[in-house]
Amino acid sequence: MKALMSVVALIGVLGLLMLIGMIFGVIPSNTVRLVEGYMPMQVLSELAIFVAGFAGLSYLANSMGIAFPRFWQGVLFWVFIQTYLKFRIYPPIPFSVRAMYGTVSFVAVFMWVSANEEDWKKFRQPILNVLDANTGFHKALRTMYLILLPLLIGGFSFMTMKPSVDEPIELRTVHPAPPASTKVHGKTYTLQTSQNPYRVNLEGKYDQDYSNKLIVEQGMGRLMAPNANPWDEKAEGYLKYVREGGEIFFQNCHFCHGDNLNGRGLHAFAFNPIPANFTDPGTIAQLQETFIFWRVAKGGIGLPNEGFPWASVMPPWEQHLTTDEIWKVILFEYWHTGYYPRTWD
Amino acid sequence: MGLILNLTNNLGEQVVRLTMSKLRMNVKATPIFGAALGAILISACAVGVSHAEDLPEGFAKGELSPAPPAEMIEAGKRVYFTKCVWCHGVDGAGDGPGADRLWPRPRNFNQGTFKIRHTASGELPLFNYNEKNPDSGKNDLLDTVTHGLPGSAMPPWEGILTEEQRIQVLSFVTTQLVKDRKFTDKESESQTILQLGTIKPVEATEESIKKGAQLVVDKKCIECHGVEGRGDGNAFNLKDDWGFSIQPADWHKCWNFRGSRQDPYNVRNIFRTFSTGVNGTPMPSFADSTSVEDRWSIANFVNSLCERDAEGKPLSIDPLTDKPKINFVVPSAPIEGEISNDPENEMWKKQGRRYVAMGGQITHKPRNFVNRIDDIWVRSLYNDKDVVYLIQWDDRTKSVAEGKLPWAPTQVNVENFGVKEQAPKTGEEGSIAAAQNNYAVYNDGIGFQFPIKWQEIPAPFKPRYLWGDAKFNADILKWESDGSLRSFRGTGWDQDFEERDDFEEKVKLLKAEWKNGQWTVMISRPLKGDKDDYDEYTRFDIGKYIPMVFFAWDGHNGDAGRKMAVSAFYYTILQPPIPQEVYIYPAVIAVGVVLLEGWMLTRRANKKKGKVL
Repeated sequence: MKALMSVVALIGVLGLLMLIGMIFGVIPSNTVRLVEGYMPMQVLSELAIFVAGFAGLSYLANSMGIAFPRFWQGVLFWVFIQTYLKFRIYPPIPFSVRAMYGTVSFVAVFMWVSANEEDWKKFRQPILNVLDANTGFHKALRTMYLILLPLLIGGFSFMTMKPSVDEPIELRTVHPAPPASTKVHGKTYTLQTSQNPYRVNLEGKYDQDYSNKLIVEQGMGRLMAPNANPWDEKAEGYLKYVREGGEIFFQNCHFCHGDNLNGRGLHAFAFNPIPANFTDPGTIAQLQETFIFWRVAKGGIGLPNEGFPWASVMPPWEQHLTTDEIWKVILFEYWHTGYYPRTWD
Repeated sequence: MGLILNLTNNLGEQVVRLTMSKLRMNVKATPIFGAALGAILISACAVGVSHAEDLPEGFAKGELSPAPPAEMIEAGKRVYFTKCVWCHGVDGAGDGPGADRLWPRPRNFNQGTFKIRHTASGELPLFNYNEKNPDSGKNDLLDTVTHGLPGSAMPPWEGILTEEQRIQVLSFVTTQLVKDRKFTDKESESQTILQLGTIKPVEATEESIKKGAQLVVDKKCIECHGVEGRGDGNAFNLKDDWGFSIQPADWHKCWNFRGSRQDPYNVRNIFRTFSTGVNGTPMPSFADSTSVEDRWSIANFVNSLCERDAEGKPLSIDPLTDKPKINFVVPSAPIEGEISNDPENEMWKKQGRRYVAMGGQITHKPRNFVNRIDDIWVRSLYNDKDVVYLIQWDDRTKSVAEGKLPWAPTQVNVENFGVKEQAPKTGEEGSIAAAQNNYAVYNDGIGFQFPIKWQEIPAPFKPRYLWGDAKFNADILKWESDGSLRSFRGTGWDQDFEERDDFEEKVKLLKAEWKNGQWTVMISRPLKGDKDDYDEYTRFDIGKYIPMVFFAWDGHNGDAGRKMAVSAFYYTILQPPIPQEVYIYPAVIAVGVVLLEGWMLTRRANKKKGKVL
């Protein structure tokens, strides 16, 4: 048991040292890189390792008779969570979200330290000790707190009040409500009833079940289904349209939306709002094909105000593409990401 | 078309062969200035250093890797036709649907010419299907697919494709699409590998960097890369093996180095590129002629040129974009009295500069797919009358239109005058890369816009980033390299500018200079007009965030009108002097805390004594 715990504790200490090193730039911050596709699992497993490490440390300290006060365990664990969220996660989480996590973790820590009467006593004992100041050490500690607290709080409020040039935060609606219909190249399309004319089976009928069988497979890489290669010379109907849509995509769209449709194109770094990531389950996967048609045809300038039409560089594609080309690009986007378009019901 | 393809392929092959034969003969001290299809192969004046087995210093002979198994190749085909075919084409000739609007063009695999390697100049790169660690230095192609080629459209595939999938697709490419050479052919191929893992780097001391600075002059690096390393040397018309225009690297933007491997400030990447050369381009290997120590000095010097922050530390790189992190606020600091027009003046040096990322204008025609100004650096100061913007950006060419431009300065729809966007599919001979240096030369330019009457626009509304709109107009300043500085009102992306005569007298061009590949332009404009009515111009109020958008034109790229580089919305803010309350309130709060402490202690003491308050 002890051996196991020492190993676990060692991992915890190493992890902590690494985190601190990365925060202060002693160790290059990309030593353990968070990779996009794996990130949620990476973060969860890292946190699990840390928690195990702390448990190991606490066990070891206990068995060596230098038990760490419950009060400081609670405080430090909360500080650790905050530090991890602020410095480890990328792209950075906004302060408001961090504050929410902070509150939740505070409540969790509080519940942990007050789980039963004995624990709660252990937790508040150090606070009472300092307040009462029965020993010389505690007296010194109390004096220190008395001086430090006003200084810290005063200094903190000075820092927050000092005029800063931080970026103002503006919240933008990513998927605004669509109109009932949209007019493109002189033809009116009712969003609820229009269909992608190229999502057809070999008989030429609209057939989503047919196309669903031919899209790329979900999972790492999102590779094409075997025997469903749009570049096959014999490819007909749906798959041929997918290739044509892909050609248009790679002549027009990938500059921003990227070679993997993940919003990391060549020009994407310069723009704000950043180009949509179609591989994210929160974009085209939860939208209808006609919604995409409206967004593509009308572009950033055609957004309602909550979508910040003034800032989006998304072109109104009706200026550059024919209606058929727009439908084909949409077909390609669903094919390449392996998502089914949502239906209106 | 097919014929032309064949022709270029054959010529490309010849160049490769030339390089190969040069290697085999172990030619050491012959400077070759051969121009084959415009490609200049420079084997720089060598000092006669001899080494064991006649290998260049730091290299060792390696074995060819085994051929990947057939099922791996088959699996790789599936990856290739899902992800790669769109740019690299069905036959891997770098002619997929996306190719013609890209510059640099996607790689043509057929000749087996790969840029970033650990192997000697002209040799095939390292690829071993058994070596699964991307950063081992033993698998160049896996490195490239994993980290992408920054500054080009090739993205990092890490996190998208698994390591297995990346190796599979490389197995397919190296065996099926590399057609003129064979990775396993012991007769024709050899592997002379740079021992980067075991060579001890020379520390980047001042001495080493100084030595490097002298060496880049001696080795004629500056002929192409320019005196300050901004890629503006006299070799502007460089071509690659396929006859496509390419440009020397700008050493000040290491995050755009193709071989930076998502680790741009790592000097080893520069050492590697300098030692092995860049196949298919005029960048030769300097391994034969330069000792390892000298190569480190050069690498240290080149690395020292890359942009850094005020304390000399590397800029922090955004891992999502592999470019410097962006702060969308351009602060302007208050100055008493005159603002200097010398960027070297202390007041400018003290004011931190901001990195402003620029992308091609791809919203409206003519779209700018090949954007050559990808960032500008902005600083700002203000006094009681004016606000001054100092803008600096790298531009390899100083472009001034010959004669008078056929359109009026206010005209923005210039498509009828030949400013057109690249057609989607033109064949290689009509592609951007082929036509790159044949554009009509227009003026370089820089511009920025603010909202007029931003005080009355409810947040977060703004006039559209592209020259405002009918409802919210934009106040636009535009400087062109013919020396003009003009002031306009913008009412929409397709609406000609409106001139504002009275304001033009008040905006001043304090400096405009192109030197060694860098423009420095300093523009002063009044904080407000004469009247308090501000229908025409933007009135600057201290301490307020005012939206700002930047535009840049590269005349040698054929940029004019809407064909330009554009930024996202930034904010400029005139930093106010610190008000008094900021000192008073925290003191009051601190006193409050002291009182609270006193109350708590008393309460506790009373409770202990059994008293109840």
